Amino acid sequence: MAIRQLSPETVNRIAAGEVIERPASVVKELVENALDAGATAVEIVAVGGGLSMLRITDNGHGMGREDLALAVERHATSKLNDDDLFNICTLGFRGEALPSIGSIGRLAISSRLRVGEASQGYGLVVDCGAKSAISPAGLNAGTIVEVRELFSATPARLKFMRSERAETQAIVEIVKRIAMAHPCVAFELVTDDKAPLRFPAQAPGAEGRLQRLARIMGREFLDDALPIERMRGPYQVSGFAALPTLHRNDAGQQFLFVNRRPVRDKLLLGAIRAAYGDLVPKGRHPVFALFVDVPTDTVDVNVHPAKAEVRFREGGEIRALVINAVRNALEAAGHRASVYGGQQTLDTLARGLATSGTGAASSSWLPPAHPAFAPAGFGEAMQAPFAGLIQPSADASAGDVAPSPEQLDRPLGAARAQLHETYIVAQTRTSVIIVDQHAAHERLVYERMKAALSEGGVKRQGLLIPEIVTLEPHEVSALEDAASELAELGLALEAFGADAVAVRETPAMLGQTDVQALVKDLAADITADRGKTALKSRLEAVASRMACHGSVRAGRRLAPAEMNALLREMEATPFSGQCNHGRPTYVELKLSDIERLFGRRG
Amino acid sequence: MKLVIERGELLRALGHVTSVVERRTTIPILSNVFLKAANGVLHLKATDLEREVVEQIPANVVQPGAVTVPAHLLHDIVRKLPDGSEIEIKRDPEKERLTIVSGQSQFALQTLAAEDFPDLSGGDYPHTFEIPAHDLKKLIDKTRFAISTEETRYYLNGIYLHPAVSGETAVLRAVATDGHRLAQMDVSQPAGAAGMPGVIVPRKTVHELGRLLEANEHNATMSVSPAKVRFEIGDVTLTSKLIDGTFPDYGRVIPQNNDKELRVSNAEFMSAVDRVSTIASDRGRAVKLAINGTKLTLSVNNPEGGSATEEVTVDYTSTPIEIGFNARYLLEIAGQLESDTAQFKLADSGAPTIVRDGSDANALYVLMPMRV
Repeated sequence: MAIRQLSPETVNRIAAGEVIERPASVVKELVENALDAGATAVEIVAVGGGLSMLRITDNGHGMGREDLALAVERHATSKLNDDDLFNICTLGFRGEALPSIGSIGRLAISSRLRVGEASQGYGLVVDCGAKSAISPAGLNAGTIVEVRELFSATPARLKFMRSERAETQAIVEIVKRIAMAHPCVAFELVTDDKAPLRFPAQAPGAEGRLQRLARIMGREFLDDALPIERMRGPYQVSGFAALPTLHRNDAGQQFLFVNRRPVRDKLLLGAIRAAYGDLVPKGRHPVFALFVDVPTDTVDVNVHPAKAEVRFREGGEIRALVINAVRNALEAAGHRASVYGGQQTLDTLARGLATSGTGAASSSWLPPAHPAFAPAGFGEAMQAPFAGLIQPSADASAGDVAPSPEQLDRPLGAARAQLHETYIVAQTRTSVIIVDQHAAHERLVYERMKAALSEGGVKRQGLLIPEIVTLEPHEVSALEDAASELAELGLALEAFGADAVAVRETPAMLGQTDVQALVKDLAADITADRGKTALKSRLEAVASRMACHGSVRAGRRLAPAEMNALLREMEATPFSGQCNHGRPTYVELKLSDIERLFGRRG
Repeated sequence: MKLVIERGELLRALGHVTSVVERRTTIPILSNVFLKAANGVLHLKATDLEREVVEQIPANVVQPGAVTVPAHLLHDIVRKLPDGSEIEIKRDPEKERLTIVSGQSQFALQTLAAEDFPDLSGGDYPHTFEIPAHDLKKLIDKTRFAISTEETRYYLNGIYLHPAVSGETAVLRAVATDGHRLAQMDVSQPAGAAGMPGVIVPRKTVHELGRLLEANEHNATMSVSPAKVRFEIGDVTLTSKLIDGTFPDYGRVIPQNNDKELRVSNAEFMSAVDRVSTIASDRGRAVKLAINGTKLTLSVNNPEGGSATEEVTVDYTSTPIEIGFNARYLLEIAGQLESDTAQFKLADSGAPTIVRDGSDANALYVLMPMRV
């Protein structure tokens, strides 16, 4: 077969295959165009998962007649000045979106300039690559882009679409992400099956951004979000990260933006994971929305067709900035635990009240009660005669004296009693605090151990027979480069030929350890730019295990002075809001919530 | 099958064999002990598939036969029967029960077929020799503390027994190491042991052997094949599979040129190490030894707990040196020494150190220092 030049339609369809994966990609491209056009309100309508019809209406600066004709040509864009790919200020720049969409569906654009030819709007239709003539159209200033019958020109792609519901959901996700990055722009998304999603424009600044984030990520994020704001040279990271006790079983509540562009960048995700470190239980994911802003000439967004990944000129700087910013915010939060726990407790209590019929059932805020879950039916009546024998082992002695006012002013308040020899009940001016004494003390011991570890250095036990670990050559050189830092953590190794390392000393704390596995994990960590996590986390795991054994157990009676001392130490220790396993160490029940529980407040 | 036996005899034999039986097994018959009565002798056998212990004791056999019953259960029953009682053991072929009657007590135990009981005893043992029980005991007792428990280097999970030459004399040598320290013990080579290959005896077998040797002053017979080792001690036979691996060339890690020699009273040294290490944290208890002239200063510094120092007078003439060790390792090695004097041979703070018994040249210990 002879070689021939591909037709422009085919070229456009190939390009569309890369840029336009599914209807949500069209939404992303078109909404980004609208934002690049300076819109302050964007309306998105998606019918049939976006496959039947998509319409994006904006109030941006619009296009004139000539611009409109050019816009649907391939590699035509208004966004790249002087062809400078290294200084990209806009969301789009490839000039691929409109012609790609036009080549695989029926694209109708109408636009009217905000300035200049103010009186006249124009429209244009591209049907599977065939352009119509430009005709006058009536509309307000801005642009309306409508796409019908998407993928009708590429039936193969159409077959790979998932259900309409799934495609709709993908559109919702994309709009949410974009809306998070642009709190000052109002968004409205209308789909078949749901009430329209509306995000009113917020005031500029952190508060507006938090309000927008809370609308998308939920109320508990608003309560637990720690503001993050940090500069380093020209780089800036801002946004909000939730307390470590608010965690999820998937990464769906992790939002990252680079120059307001939603990304899922491995470098940034790794940095945030490192910052949360041992605060979040294994297999759980912290919740955050972070915005990294860097000068446009220090980042390459032209790495990935959908721009999901970026490449930083100084990746290490950015990583350090993100780790420090998040870590500092978490440290500043100190002992704070998620209010989510307290809320859950109250909900449980409220549910119990409602089902036993003694609560303020009239209150509309009570969750629906399920009689099937009524906590009766354990033969309480039969056990009634024994009730006197199972009195809680309350140590009421703390309550004998009135708590001192200065203690009441402390964040964790004054200890009032110990219940079941496990929980400390404390009182502040506005709330009741319940502390799990074992979990709390475990964290305190662990933090102390970690401090000692970093202060006193790690002791190294020499090996009689050096352990030879065979690795890939690039892993060997990576380990060799990190040798001096590893030695500080207790692991002395050196290259042994090109594809092996000889381990001469191991951290004494690990005892007899599987050196092969340790070094292989380390090599993987270091080459994947995750730092010395494998070694550090193993040391910390040992410290954590020792902490667990060395701390006050549940079931030990504490004197009032001991309880208060524990509370004061928790206030002073970073990360004391959760134990080493990531569980909260205390819950706080707000007085106002308790009052509502008893129907004293509406 | 029917026999009558004296309680004490049976209890002692059960004590020997049942300790190899694992408390939890996935193969039911491995929880059982094999009993076979024939010709005035009761044979007992127990196994965990890696090793087996067989013992023969005299019994009044009325009717020969073989059966298996739960080992720990039978052991517990016999232990609780009164001292000096006669026990009648009878198999009821119809009900597949084993009845145990003594005085007013009667027990019936579930059985499993004797034919299904695994047998490890087969095979040829090309090398067989007699060795005094106290020599065998010494070989394992002085080295077993250094056996590695880390399972990825499985070839270190046992004692390496092999013929060797020490100076001019032929010896039988035991070596164990966990990569941090090494223990080596020599005994004079028994006739017939010269040609045996080096074998790695697994840790659990070492443990069983130690138990069997406890109350025995006689000679033991040791037989070696490429895959198994067998020890016959009195009426008891312990057969074990060997660890199939190559023991590292341990000779290379024993330093030859450590010229700084230190002699110290072992008892004083041990109690001083024990005292100062009280302050150390649980893991990696590092003790620093600073030696200057006749003064050895032991110190421990634990940022969490505090610090401790103690001085011990020693015999030392070389240049001053400071070196750190794991306190537990030091105590374990010093605990093996039998004479009053411990002898250390040091090179520098990063190099392996040799510890020897002041009077027994057959024992040698190598310890890697800790960087403090």
